[in-house]
Amino acid sequence: MAEGFDIDHLAKLARLSLTAEEKVLYSSQLNQILGHFQALADADLPATIDDARVVNEAALRSDEPGPVLGAEAVTRIAPASRDGQISVPRVVDDES
Amino acid sequence: MADALHTLSAAELGRRLAAGTLTSRALCEALITRYKALNETVGAFTHLDQADVLAQADASDARRKAGQGRGPLEGIPVAIKDNIAVKGQPLTCSSKMLASLVSPYDSHVAERLCAVGAILYGRLNMDEFAMGSSTENSALRKTFNPWDLARIPGGSSGGSAAALAAGLVPLSLGSDTGGSIRQPASHCGVVGLKPTYGLISRFGLVAFASSLDQIGPMARSIEDCELLLNALASADARDMTCFGPSDRALTPSGDAKKLRIGIPKGFLGKGVAAEVAAAVNAAVEFYRAQGCAISEVELPSADLAVPTYYVVATAEASSNLGRYDGVRYGHRSTSAGTPVEMMTASRSEGFGPEVKRRILLGTFVLSAGYADAYYVRALRARAKIRSEYLAALAGVDVLLTPTVPTPAFKVGEKASDPLQLYLEDIFTIPANLAGLPALSVPCGKSGHLPVGFHLVGAPLSEAKLLAAGRLFEAAHGFAHQQAAL
Repeated sequence: MAEGFDIDHLAKLARLSLTAEEKVLYSSQLNQILGHFQALADADLPATIDDARVVNEAALRSDEPGPVLGAEAVTRIAPASRDGQISVPRVVDDES
Repeated sequence: MADALHTLSAAELGRRLAAGTLTSRALCEALITRYKALNETVGAFTHLDQADVLAQADASDARRKAGQGRGPLEGIPVAIKDNIAVKGQPLTCSSKMLASLVSPYDSHVAERLCAVGAILYGRLNMDEFAMGSSTENSALRKTFNPWDLARIPGGSSGGSAAALAAGLVPLSLGSDTGGSIRQPASHCGVVGLKPTYGLISRFGLVAFASSLDQIGPMARSIEDCELLLNALASADARDMTCFGPSDRALTPSGDAKKLRIGIPKGFLGKGVAAEVAAAVNAAVEFYRAQGCAISEVELPSADLAVPTYYVVATAEASSNLGRYDGVRYGHRSTSAGTPVEMMTASRSEGFGPEVKRRILLGTFVLSAGYADAYYVRALRARAKIRSEYLAALAGVDVLLTPTVPTPAFKVGEKASDPLQLYLEDIFTIPANLAGLPALSVPCGKSGHLPVGFHLVGAPLSEAKLLAAGRLFEAAHGFAHQQAAL
């Protein structure tokens, strides 16, 4: 099942930067774990997938505005902020 | 009297508070003294705001004096796993990613504890983002098993279990995605309950795998566990899976001596340590002698539970942990260039090895070309496992197994072998996959190390599980046990 495993592609998808040592380690460990998952490939399984819930009493709440965290609370926990807004590295070049 | 307060149950402490022979301040001061003496040794807590605790205790004492006490947990300290939000307190998930985060809001369970007058008592260590079975994955500190300080307390709620076993607090909250309440409870000789999926709101619980996560109570006795459960179960529209309190789950059930107990075929065989099997078999014989009907049940897909869990849980984790991008909260790398470089560097610096491993695994099982072979098949296996459990529970009231195959292992013993560590949860995982309530009850020792048995019931059968646990506990000496430290 693990054919085609590409640690560089996975790291890119996961937005993780891995060292050479980490790539070797994780490749080995993931291959071992995926080997354990072979039981899933071999199993006779139903075609259906059901909901995780066991009690179907939950309901969606009404779509109405409720209390929210204010800008002050949000920017207080942000890594960087300015003028009540969260700062991030420049997204758009000056030229564009 | 102050010296002995740490040995008392929450129920007994509540009675003394109600009788006026004890104040919440005196109780909290005694526990803070014990914390100062022992926390460096055990490592259960990552944070305790002592001034805040005493202020809460004074407020509780004032309420009681004014005749405005809020019930049996008024003035009782409850320690909280560090992935459950309490406004103004750290919310680190024992990760470098959130090391400096102070929660701007309360979780639903924190609101509930305040509503019943409990004292929100400190932050408990855990495996990073609840990913682990030993608490060795914490980026903040080590936690040790109070029964043997060279061994792990279990995980991921290792701090929650160790704090109870060390007499640092009478009650604690954990979270359980694949056994994270029950496995450490077993290793530390305490009681841990994973409720039915949806009984307790997860609003304010940092998400790991949302179709599996539940918050649950941990205590040194069944009675205390039940007290805490009753305080936590409450309707909350902010968690759409939460259906609120249920009379079926919370009302004491009938005669526990009439319970029908199923023993899954093969569960006491391969891989189970002899002393664990002996302790669990003794529990089975106890129930038989009490008049319970014991029968063997078939769970043919049990071997699929661990791979199914690790596909579903890591897939959901890779999605849930996508939110940690260094933008709105949490660690932001200072080596940032472009926004994508900033996100990648922040995640790579902030997450520890096990979290990275699970994100990579979850990303793989969801990736184009592999999702059908892994994720979709795991969902189909999950449906099969659930169907088999519900079928078995149609014929019996509870299923009884060991909680963990072996006693607590030595610190570092399995650190380099993640697959071996994943197999720690082989008996606890199915209850999460099937959304069922499950309880770990202390039932003996393997040498000096605690052993627990595990009860799983049909949805909303918490009262039955607790009644079965109470019957066993009343006849044995494991309630209120603490390690000698």
